[in-house]
Amino acid sequence: MLFNSLTFVVFFAIVVALHNAALPWRVKKINLLIASLIFYGAWSPPFVLLLLFSTIVDWFAARWMAGAKTEASRRMFLMLSLAGNLGMLSYFKYGGFLLENFTAAVSAMGIAYKAPEWNIILPVGISFYTFQTLAYTLDVYLRRAAPTKSFLDFALFVTFFPQLVAGPIVRPSQLVPQFAEPKVATRDQFYWGLVLMTVGLFEKVVLADSFLAPAADAAFGAGKALHPLDAWTGVLAFSGQIFFDFSGYSTTAVGAALCLGFALPNNFLYPYAAIGFSDFWRRWHISLSTWLRDYLYIPLGGNQKGRTRTYANLMITMLLGGLWHGASWTFVVWGGLHGLYLAAERALREAIPTQEWFKSLWFKAAMALLTYFLVNITWVFFRAQNFADASTMLASMFALAPKPEKVLYYNEIVPALIVVAGMVFAHWRMRATTIEAVAAATPKWLIAALLAFMLFMLVATQGSDSAFIYFQF
Amino acid sequence: MTKRKPLLFFDPEHVDRPVPGRPWRAIVLGALVATAFLTAGWEFFWRGKGLIPGDYRDTNAIWAEARRKAKDGATVIIGSSRSLFDIDLDVWEELSGVRPVQLAQVGTSPRIFLKDLAEDESFKGLVIVDVTAFLFFTGDGGPREEVVKYYREQTLAQRADYFLSIPLEETLAFMDEQSRPKRQVAIWPFPLREGMKPRFDPRKLETLDRDRNARMWARVVEDPLYLDEAKYHWRLVIEQSAPPPGAPSGPMPPEAVGAVIAEVKANIDKIRARGGEVAFIRLPYDGMFSVAEDNGFPRAQFWDRLLRETASVGVAFQDHPELQGYEIPEWSHLAPDETPRYTRALVPIFYAQLKGRNLPTFGAAPR
Repeated sequence: MLFNSLTFVVFFAIVVALHNAALPWRVKKINLLIASLIFYGAWSPPFVLLLLFSTIVDWFAARWMAGAKTEASRRMFLMLSLAGNLGMLSYFKYGGFLLENFTAAVSAMGIAYKAPEWNIILPVGISFYTFQTLAYTLDVYLRRAAPTKSFLDFALFVTFFPQLVAGPIVRPSQLVPQFAEPKVATRDQFYWGLVLMTVGLFEKVVLADSFLAPAADAAFGAGKALHPLDAWTGVLAFSGQIFFDFSGYSTTAVGAALCLGFALPNNFLYPYAAIGFSDFWRRWHISLSTWLRDYLYIPLGGNQKGRTRTYANLMITMLLGGLWHGASWTFVVWGGLHGLYLAAERALREAIPTQEWFKSLWFKAAMALLTYFLVNITWVFFRAQNFADASTMLASMFALAPKPEKVLYYNEIVPALIVVAGMVFAHWRMRATTIEAVAAATPKWLIAALLAFMLFMLVATQGSDSAFIYFQF
Repeated sequence: MTKRKPLLFFDPEHVDRPVPGRPWRAIVLGALVATAFLTAGWEFFWRGKGLIPGDYRDTNAIWAEARRKAKDGATVIIGSSRSLFDIDLDVWEELSGVRPVQLAQVGTSPRIFLKDLAEDESFKGLVIVDVTAFLFFTGDGGPREEVVKYYREQTLAQRADYFLSIPLEETLAFMDEQSRPKRQVAIWPFPLREGMKPRFDPRKLETLDRDRNARMWARVVEDPLYLDEAKYHWRLVIEQSAPPPGAPSGPMPPEAVGAVIAEVKANIDKIRARGGEVAFIRLPYDGMFSVAEDNGFPRAQFWDRLLRETASVGVAFQDHPELQGYEIPEWSHLAPDETPRYTRALVPIFYAQLKGRNLPTFGAAPR
């Protein structure tokens, strides 16, 4: 079910009530597990089986791995986990993509081959929970952690509903220990959790869906060369939409977990104030970027195997990170561009000695704007349906497209640019602080007024029918 | 537990969610009270604008609920806004003993709904197809075409959402697409950018019951400015879709019309093969629509050909004096007070046509 739905409001109220009832801790955990399966099954009950499959395979794989006497058998059990999770992911997410590319490849060789139709529905959030559960078996394999003793705790770790379908991708060491002892939110944790949920839903329902999506959808859906103002508005609006949509989900997830007494990590730290791309990836989808770093980049050798290997590892990590987002070459290019940016930044850092004026405000601001500009270039590939649309959009942005047309009305341009300008300004102001620190220093009447405004806007917007963008990944 | 190496990057201790030291209970309760006042003011404001509780939003979910009733021998209305606004289901039921399932959608060609019903083996009933010529012949979709996919893929959560929204829709007037901030921004009178055409984007025109029994919104007839705006948008769409000067008359060559009719006939044949039936109606229009539709879609080449090649019966308002002379405020839909009277006139004519063809009875003769 969607966070931005009436069903979730009722569901969450029941879950909170049961969690605060005078019940044994084990019963409360079973309640949370059942609630999580209902939360997921509300989309499609059969896909609950996939979730359980992934849970059971990794539970046994990790146990067998820990008890294995030889390295070969440890590796075999890791392969079992990888095959189970990545096999499932490949079939449901990449099957059509692989088939399409195979068909194109054999056609290029002159072999006539007609691929069968591939109408497989993508289970929601499959990329998130497979990565989360893989982190568990990889940690055990790499001897970073021992397998958990409680199947219930492990199953709850995989299925915990606040972050099940769109992250943050939580590590076992972050969440499993929290299930070991009874946990109920304190009164202040509960209220703060509700505030975070309100902020997250406001980001999604009001800012992303109501004020940014219309401009982004109209520009990217036009399918023709655009006037530069339309093209830039569309791309900037999408930069805001994707941030508020995804960050909104993560913030709501963090708030929902906190209302139950659990702590989830931040997934975003004001990324559009990033100065450079290594900084950007410390601020954007943090749980994925650190997952890729810990389980892909470093196992590949990281920066420990020479200069060439470092750059190659960087590119491989970002290309696969791009592919994680979707079964399309446009996502690979998106990842590849980020890989190139990171590589270029690394090369520049190596080539240019640090200067005193690097620390000046104007330089930092200029670099932050340059980073945001380059990030926007990558969003074109992320949002466009294909390379033809992406190249038309890029040409339109730089006034290189023939016969550009205006497709956006001021009704889309004005709200989108106001929200984007506000977002970039807010990120810059929040760059070195946190929402908690700001809340602690803000007058209580102002917090109450802002909270009331956000709640009222959510009521006036009447929720939203649209799913979160990252569900499709 | 075996001794484990420290993690490289993550440790449970790092997941720290400090709560800022503020009087959160007072803040949250204060915000809730303020939100309640703001919401009450919002409700009061929109009631002043003519919105009423119990006027349902025409969501995908409400259409899906109606669609689930279109099974077995049901009588179903498909079409666009004219059949949605102009037919009073209460009167139809009173006269025929059958309450039709209302599946018409604004601005959308009924052909996608006919195809959907034809593909549904469980449907064996009567389909009443509203032919608004420029929507029926020139497109096989429209702004609400996604409802069919939604109906087929509707999740349990979506059904639960709809169920929970019912009491809110029955209590709160502002639960309406028109009042959403997004909608208000979309229709805000910003100046037009140089070189751009005004956008065809009609405002709210109807009120809707739970079973999609609909009628024109009272404000359209009571507020002259609002009525003028409705006409302005119809003028826009007619002018923007008119063929350029010097173009061959009519929007479609005969072969294209033939292809549409062949597609329709194939779907009708599937329904008839199961014992069902399909019949057509044309509902009244006026003003600029008269000029555009009568000139753009000449009867002989479109309506008559459709009935002939699909071997169907049809009721065109032009053929029956009883179906003419009604108030059509914005040229395309009947005034709300006129729909019961119009339906009362239409039902006997419609069933008489069906009887004349000696087809299975999908409703009693007028009582």
